[in-house]
Amino acid sequence: MNMRVKKMHIVLALLILIPSFVNLGVPIYNRDSPELLGIPFFYWFQTLWLFASSGFYIVFARLKGTRR
Amino acid sequence: MISSDVTIVFISLFILFIGLGFYGKYWRRGDLNHVHEWALAGRKLGTTLVFFLIGADLYTAYSFVAIPSGVFAKGSLYFFAIPYVMLTFAVALVTMPKLWTLSREKGYITASDFVKDRFGSTTLAIMIAITGIIAELPYIALQIVGMQAVLTVMLAGSANAQIVEEISLLISFTILAAFTYTSGLRGATLTAIFKDIIIWITVFAVIIIVPLSIGGFSHAFSQVKANYVTLPSALMPAYATLILGSALALYLYPHAINGVLSSESAQKLRTSTALLPLYGVGLAILALMGVLVFAVPNAMNFLSGFPESSRGILVVPSLILYTMPGWFSGIALLGIFVGGLVPAAIMAMAQANLLTRNIIKELKPNITSNSEIRITKISSTVFKFIALGFVFAVPATYAISLQLLGGILIAQILPAVLCGLYVKYLRKTPLIIGLLAGIGSGIYMVEDTNNFGALTVSLFNTSFGSIYIAIISLAINLAISFGGSYALNNTKTSKMEKN
Repeated sequence: MNMRVKKMHIVLALLILIPSFVNLGVPIYNRDSPELLGIPFFYWFQTLWLFASSGFYIVFARLKGTRR
Repeated sequence: MISSDVTIVFISLFILFIGLGFYGKYWRRGDLNHVHEWALAGRKLGTTLVFFLIGADLYTAYSFVAIPSGVFAKGSLYFFAIPYVMLTFAVALVTMPKLWTLSREKGYITASDFVKDRFGSTTLAIMIAITGIIAELPYIALQIVGMQAVLTVMLAGSANAQIVEEISLLISFTILAAFTYTSGLRGATLTAIFKDIIIWITVFAVIIIVPLSIGGFSHAFSQVKANYVTLPSALMPAYATLILGSALALYLYPHAINGVLSSESAQKLRTSTALLPLYGVGLAILALMGVLVFAVPNAMNFLSGFPESSRGILVVPSLILYTMPGWFSGIALLGIFVGGLVPAAIMAMAQANLLTRNIIKELKPNITSNSEIRITKISSTVFKFIALGFVFAVPATYAISLQLLGGILIAQILPAVLCGLYVKYLRKTPLIIGLLAGIGSGIYMVEDTNNFGALTVSLFNTSFGSIYIAIISLAINLAISFGGSYALNNTKTSKMEKN
């Protein structure tokens, strides 16, 4: 396995692991402030994190697709 | 009593829905006498269509009914559905393209096909098929509970509400059975798009109009207890394990795998999977309705007319009815109604595939492909009516609890299906014992934690706090599957060395 392939594997793994770590790290987002439009942090953070997760996943899908 | 414009809009759109379902037969024509044409739409669905189809598969009455109902009754714990869907797509991105590629090469239609080929064990394949069929049944029942909730709200106050409701469900299911019989997955995909458009309109209208009319979200959150605002720290392990357990389980359900295999290419599958978390925004808004409803006195007043245990499932339809204009309620309620109907069709189809290919064909290997497709079509009809009978026989709240049990059961096929894709040294015997131990321990813990009475809880108290049972029994299952395979391989190699 050459260096470039190895690097690619690490990047791909991080693209999956970072959003997963945040999702499972409940204490990270289990708080009520700051509020957004009157919605506690707990709710709005997880909702907006959906967009971020999708972003990570799209990059993952693109990289996988161009590899071959 | 509701106004007639609700009913008129509802029925007109339902007729349009039926039309689309039957039209599916002519859409992207293929020979529907082949199983892969009927059940996988010829494996020709592109990024957008797979997005809609899997979206319809995964965001079901579970989202419209069970999650808002849980938030309404128990508070923030049930918001686990949001991180759960995010995590499940990570699992899918890593595993499903591989399963897709193997299936295309070797012609698999179910996960059980893969397991049989990979481990050369008919016993394991049949056990996986049976687990899939059983775990899927309460999921279909839950779809019907969602449809029932819509009808209950629409018919409240009218004479013979119960009978009208049951007849309406029976008619809807007969129509559904008729168009899945003729159109297969094509009909389901077309109606899924129709359903999604309505749901998205509903979700955005509600999230804009309701907070404005009740004086903002802060007003709603000031009406509820602290455990609705954030998660009590004692429930954090429960929250995390519910996320993990549900995320690992979702793509093991037969209907999810069915959706995956209908994709046109592995890359298109990746792209649509990567976009699917966006769908979760709708789910988050629906879950928030479980809190918003506390600030709508008319809806709360309406709900108080029902027994406490069945209020939850009525939250979303009654919130819509009491905050939106009549014609709009008609559109939104139909969205929820077919939001149960479409997934029910896909699920029954996936069950039928398992029954025909992985059970009946194993026992009677020489059936012709003509009778194979006929048995598949007929059994998909039968499964729908079994689920319907189930809903008529048991109370709605019980159906939601059984769905939790279904999740615990389906998680147990993970070592064979997902680990089997990657880990070479797994062997069939430890997998069989692990599956049985996982299912046995799961059922025992569910019974024990509910004191052998009605199922309401799926969390088990441990020294780490309460933990979702699926995770504990999956850990037992994985330990046996991996440990046993490791031991078997070692004894084999040492024997070989002796010889």
